[in-house]
Amino acid sequence: MTESIIILLAGIFLPLFPLSMVFNAVIENIKHAWLRAVLFVVWPLCGLFIVLYSKVDIPDWVLPLALTTSALYALRMLSLREVNQWNGFLATSLWSLVWLAVMQDTSAVLLYSYALSMSAPLVLLVLLSAGLEQRFGAAYTELYGGLARTIPRYAGVLVTVVIAAIATPLFPTFFIMLDMVVEAISATPLAALALLLIWLLWSWAGARLIQGLIVGRASDIEMVDMNVTTISFFSLMLMALIVAGLYLSGVIL
Amino acid sequence: MEKIIIVVAVLPLFSALLIQIFAGRIGRGIARLSVAITTLSFLLSVLLLSLSLAGHDPLAITLGNSTAIMLFDPLGTLLATIILGISLIVHLYSVRYMAEEDAYGQFFVLLDLMTAALLFMVIAGDLVTLVIAWYLVGVLLYFLLGHDTRSQTAYRFAFWTLITYRIGDLPLILAAALLYNAYDTWSLTTIFTEIMANPNAHQVLGMPLTEVVAALIGLAAFARSAQFLLHTWLPYTMDGPTPVSALMHAGIVNAGGFLINRFAPVFIHSGDVLNWIFIVGLITAVFGSLLMLTQNDIKKALGYSTMGQMGFMIMECGIGAFSLAIYHMFAHGIFKGTMFLSAGSVIHDARNDDGIPKDELYTFAVEKQPNKASQPWILMAAITLAVPLVILILAHLLIAGDYFQKQGAVVLLFFGWVTGAQLIFATYRMRSQNVWRLVGLSVLSLVVVVLGYVFISHAFDLFLYPDPAFRSQLYTAASIDLLRFDVLVVMITLVIVSGWVVTYYAEQRGYRRRQQTKHLWLNFYALISREFYISDIYTRLARTILAVSNRLNIWLRWL
Repeated sequence: MTESIIILLAGIFLPLFPLSMVFNAVIENIKHAWLRAVLFVVWPLCGLFIVLYSKVDIPDWVLPLALTTSALYALRMLSLREVNQWNGFLATSLWSLVWLAVMQDTSAVLLYSYALSMSAPLVLLVLLSAGLEQRFGAAYTELYGGLARTIPRYAGVLVTVVIAAIATPLFPTFFIMLDMVVEAISATPLAALALLLIWLLWSWAGARLIQGLIVGRASDIEMVDMNVTTISFFSLMLMALIVAGLYLSGVIL
Repeated sequence: MEKIIIVVAVLPLFSALLIQIFAGRIGRGIARLSVAITTLSFLLSVLLLSLSLAGHDPLAITLGNSTAIMLFDPLGTLLATIILGISLIVHLYSVRYMAEEDAYGQFFVLLDLMTAALLFMVIAGDLVTLVIAWYLVGVLLYFLLGHDTRSQTAYRFAFWTLITYRIGDLPLILAAALLYNAYDTWSLTTIFTEIMANPNAHQVLGMPLTEVVAALIGLAAFARSAQFLLHTWLPYTMDGPTPVSALMHAGIVNAGGFLINRFAPVFIHSGDVLNWIFIVGLITAVFGSLLMLTQNDIKKALGYSTMGQMGFMIMECGIGAFSLAIYHMFAHGIFKGTMFLSAGSVIHDARNDDGIPKDELYTFAVEKQPNKASQPWILMAAITLAVPLVILILAHLLIAGDYFQKQGAVVLLFFGWVTGAQLIFATYRMRSQNVWRLVGLSVLSLVVVVLGYVFISHAFDLFLYPDPAFRSQLYTAASIDLLRFDVLVVMITLVIVSGWVVTYYAEQRGYRRRQQTKHLWLNFYALISREFYISDIYTRLARTILAVSNRLNIWLRWL
């Protein structure tokens, strides 16, 4: 009984459908960008803490449910146009896969670094989304478009962050996904196939988001592009992510 | 030598970084910087290739304490030189061609990154580097094709490319995971050594690991090289900048042939997969050529022409002629790259003067007025069938006496014969004062082409696969039961010869058809002109998935 409660509680933070809806409802109602960013960091760590501290045995049904949750949110991302919602769904899809790593007996340190690495690009996307809201009143795809012409520096950073979030090499999530596939292929080949399918859906959703924001003619309204300090901050963060990815590749592969 | 290898691989990355940093300060001068660095990298790769040709042993360099390995074997060295050569031409062309475009610096950054990704792909000595480079090529191509961010169409078709490439990444990742699980290493050299020593050491779901891996590698190659059912992206990606089209058609799309060659030690133990690869290549070659001939959009026709060529390249792998596929890739790359890069000049010149001499070739090919004067048909048929065959047999006997003991060689000979016969067959139908002069010239050009092709392909064979036993194993693995093989050859010959006879009599009758046949032909033409509705089916499928996604979001209240 206690174990079930712990799993259910953890299932809110390392999302398992339908408990995954809690996180997305919370995100929907938080309007302050920095608070949202903090939540993106803390949420999966809470889930991991519950699972690791309680040392609960993970029941077998968690694996298919975690994969289903991840696939469901990856599929649902395809038709989203609101950037924050998209970000929340990607987070749900990513974090539910942490269950696999937990079940693969990954060390606690590595599990925490997985969660943080998955969250880092999402945090950057939260900040970028706030910037879009500030400039255009909403962070919405296919509403204004043409960001590559209107605010090219901003668009460049946005594209790179989205690429980092959807597990593209050399960012950490790529190596995490590769490691999960390698671990899953021998014991549960179907899980490996599901992981690859989810990965493909992220790429599709990422491309739709990028196209919906950057493609199109330049806006008639003059917009302030990203300043040098902010670009430097994002560039440093992205470089740090690449370094972390390469470091992680040495640790996990 | 190690330092040169590292410098060759890292230079394009260094160039991309420099451009990104200094784009604002040196303006359009960044293009010259990029060209200079690519030239240096190319020259160094030529030096490496010459060392390799001189007999220098393959070299594997491990980067620090990581799993990343750079492997400079004949395949990697040769392809690195080809990639850098093509990239240099594309760089030079882009300096002026892209001068009026926005994001000039960004274009060169992407071009340099693409060059680096392709380089790392061909010199990867471990599975992780290979997967990373393979993956990044797709992502970078997406942004290069969508360089004009104003164009929704360019991005739409760039997306088709991206998603097909991502579909192709998945089997490669699976293959890498399976190999790592079985051999506990990412190193390709170690894995191949162990496979050669004991090919049946591991099983997956009751099947030999080598066969499963070979099938997955085949699938990855199909997506990258636009094989049938995974080809729809290729003819439609013409909205990208011309230099990108040249790079794509001359280099990137050939990656499937490279991948199969890289995994040659696995394919040696996967004969069934090779046969399957041959069939897919054959279907692609036939469909690609058929669609090319019926397109009224010249760009799409070029795309389908590349598809047909890729079919031939994959087919060559399927019959065990691995090195020939590399030669094909090289020759087709130069040919198609030249076509794309010279397209602008041709259009410009044609506006002033079409430059087409109103001679026999013009009346035949453009005005579609074949020669109606009849020649002694038995003599013509004998020349059509016998001359190419004799030329091919003699050319092959010159380089290897045992050549015809390999089934793959017979298949190649067969295709060479069909092509040669088709060439001579076409010359009879041309209006000419002296048909024998035309036939003589056709035969002479056939001799030159066949001799050149046979000698160069043999040189590629010796360079890429110096071990004769290994070469022989490749052909043996691709062989099928002799009786079945003979029956297939006879059947296909009959089909082709019947096609010629039908064409001959159709021309004699002036292409008049009966009403039912005409209706059938029109339906068939409609089917081809709609490209067998394949892209329509994919579009419908994608829309259905998006509709399901939307419906789910509504049901679940967007949470």
